[in-house]
Amino acid sequence: MLLELLGVIALFFGLFFCGVGVLGVIRMPDALTRLHASGKVATLGLFGLLVGAALLMPAASLRILALGLFVLLTSPVATHAIAASVYRRQEILEELFEMRDEQVDVTAVDVSGILSRSLIQDIIEAQQRTSRPSEGEPTARDT
Amino acid sequence: MIESEFAQIAIKLVLLALVSLLIPASYRVIVGATLPDRLQAVDLITTLLIGIIVMLALVEGTQVFVDMAIALAAFAFVGTISIARYISEGRAF
Repeated sequence: MLLELLGVIALFFGLFFCGVGVLGVIRMPDALTRLHASGKVATLGLFGLLVGAALLMPAASLRILALGLFVLLTSPVATHAIAASVYRRQEILEELFEMRDEQVDVTAVDVSGILSRSLIQDIIEAQQRTSRPSEGEPTARDT
Repeated sequence: MIESEFAQIAIKLVLLALVSLLIPASYRVIVGATLPDRLQAVDLITTLLIGIIVMLALVEGTQVFVDMAIALAAFAFVGTISIARYISEGRAF
């Protein structure tokens, strides 16, 4: 009975952090802060749920321990890879900002298609507005 | 199998809340301004799905569902890593 009470408390602890993480993913202003919020779901939220499940069903606790260890190993790696891709996108944007006077081909800089289509359209329109005639071929720099 | 009525009701309540959390999480997949945002929201949804499968194992009283959760975690990890590498380097592998 005490075990079940503790398990239910752990379940609601995990549910609370899942709710907070999802709220953060909706409400946070930019990609890296959203990543911070969704990391809480993977560690605190899921771990609360797993501890609660292991307390409520002791027969399955070995499998739940294996699942917990696997999530503990993989979730920071996945979060780090997503953060690296966010950083790479900002790098591309800064690169485009430095080359704003040259008429570069945006799609040649953005090799993997990270920039959204509306942003590319905005950049091309801005280039056309500031473009001077008889400037020669546009230089496309490869990253 | 869990005997007490109190724990049964609590587990079903948590399962219902987790399933309803999927709807605001998929909002970020649809609206998400950039490609990394969508990838991150899909990662969040798979994390929630692992929790839902574990809750389902508690409701049904079968341990095999936890193995399914382990398989989902493994495939979600491979998928997230390959898409993130595709975004940041231009190729998946």
